[in-house]
Amino acid sequence: MSTAIRQWRGFKAATRLGWQISSNWTQPLVFVLYSVLRPLSAAFILVVMYRVISGGGANTAAYLAFLVSGVAFWSFVQYGFAGLSNGIAEDRGEYKMLKYVYTSPAHFYVYLLGRGLAQLASAVASALIVLIVATIALGLPINPLHINYPLLLAASSLALLAVIGLAMAFGVLLLQARDAHGYGELGSGVLYVISGAIFPISVLPGILATIASLSPLVYWMESIRRSLLGSQAIRMFPSLSDGDVLLRLLVTTAATLILAHLVFSWADRTARQKGLIDMETNW
Amino acid sequence: MDIAVETRALRRVYRSRNQEVVALDGVDLRVARGQRYGVLGPNGAGKTTMIKILVTLLLPSSGEARVDGLDVVHQFRELRHRIAMVSGGENVGFGMLKVKEQLWMFSQFYGMPSAPSKRRIGELLERLGLSEAADRRVSALSSGMRQKMNLIRGLITNPRILFLDEPTVALDVGAARDVRDEVRRWMAEDPTRTVILTTHYMMEADELCDRVAIVNRGRIVAEGTPAELKQRVQQNAIVDLQLSPGGRLLDALRAVEGVAAASVTEQDGLDRFSLQLSNDAALGGVMRVVEGSGRQIRGVQKREPTLEDAFVKLVGRGMAEEEQA
Repeated sequence: MSTAIRQWRGFKAATRLGWQISSNWTQPLVFVLYSVLRPLSAAFILVVMYRVISGGGANTAAYLAFLVSGVAFWSFVQYGFAGLSNGIAEDRGEYKMLKYVYTSPAHFYVYLLGRGLAQLASAVASALIVLIVATIALGLPINPLHINYPLLLAASSLALLAVIGLAMAFGVLLLQARDAHGYGELGSGVLYVISGAIFPISVLPGILATIASLSPLVYWMESIRRSLLGSQAIRMFPSLSDGDVLLRLLVTTAATLILAHLVFSWADRTARQKGLIDMETNW
Repeated sequence: MDIAVETRALRRVYRSRNQEVVALDGVDLRVARGQRYGVLGPNGAGKTTMIKILVTLLLPSSGEARVDGLDVVHQFRELRHRIAMVSGGENVGFGMLKVKEQLWMFSQFYGMPSAPSKRRIGELLERLGLSEAADRRVSALSSGMRQKMNLIRGLITNPRILFLDEPTVALDVGAARDVRDEVRRWMAEDPTRTVILTTHYMMEADELCDRVAIVNRGRIVAEGTPAELKQRVQQNAIVDLQLSPGGRLLDALRAVEGVAAASVTEQDGLDRFSLQLSNDAALGGVMRVVEGSGRQIRGVQKREPTLEDAFVKLVGRGMAEEEQA
């Protein structure tokens, strides 16, 4: 039997496991309601806050579109990053099964990817719900017939690779901590600030703006807005063409993946050296 | 001899900011294929550390370990197809999954085709009396059922070498017997299978293992068949004294001429002293010391030597005493 088939079976099982863990904590109806209400409330809290603060100024609609599109797609980072990195801590601390998964022939990468995929599926649903409801309720200038789908798909695919790479590296890095529960949200929170999801990175202090400009997430957000809103999008990089933004996304994603691989490899070896895979935690 | 597991000068040191603990201190081990091999020792002796290294969960500090001919440090990916590990005394499992679902998932992590693995899971659930629990959530299982499920997880993938780390710890007598019976049956199915079992239950090692290594403080202090190990104390008379509780007596008994070794365990509210006497005359001296202590004798019994006696002779004290040291 080929290695690819074996790994594919492991991947499918890990995906199913991830889905069961993320959905099986309650009744199906409650889970569906939760899945719909959670992203909507997160988005609309920001919308209400913005409206109160801005007082309904002239550029309100354009910025609302900027805000909502950013928040909608941010769910990929939130679910993917926090879900995947928290999953590693859960498997070790709550279920105490990480050592058995780790010593199985399924490659750790493959397992983690599958384990996190269910979270990304939730993220797709979340993004669609927010965009559809917000477009109707707030009158956002999003026309499904005018969306630049190739740009949207290319940019989102690259960004997802970056998010998964970062989440895996961060998750394995968290094995160093005895009390790693909830650090996934902390990590995604840091990325939130420097991703351009809710405000342009130009408003950040100098050093943070520079760091943000090295993150693939900023170019992903820019690509999403250009693909969804076209000429009506508020641009963080007005001097760059769509191709330039995509190229920057490609380069920063490649750099992120290389960095993530190095961190993952180091953290994985350190975990084996220090006996962290089955460490008793404060879960 | 076809070797399943071999270690050379295997050493593992745990370091923290304040201290350094030597868990394994130059272990040389050779386990022939087809054996049920026991690693016997008190808690903290280094048994679990050894297993963790052999199953590629932990790196050694130095030395070499090969399992099924593969280096555990550099060839761990190939090795993981050939081994499985089951640990005891753990409340583990993906609680929201059904028993059969969790087992199936692990068969998939090992790359097994789905239909045969489901058949195999059904057979093993039946054999271990868990068929009725197949659709129950893992979180709803008792500790005994959960441990049986863990054993099945280790068996479904047909590993060439199965590592069992204290598989019956904290189980009731019936569940422990079921686990031991299944290990025997699984080994009987294929003579090339090998089991490495760690335990601190002397009776379990004696009953289940073809060969036993006695480990203490990170070193193998003796190795052989249970009969060979017990032979080491055969020349001594083994006498058990059951005494009422009281002050410290063990050192005084050890000092009696003719007492080769002594250990004590608490049993049903009494102190049970196991004495190895190099001659029968020593019993008189022992009785005088007991009388002087003011303790009451509740029972005296001469018996055949056990692995516990071998351990006491080799280490100088009983396993419980060694764990407290």
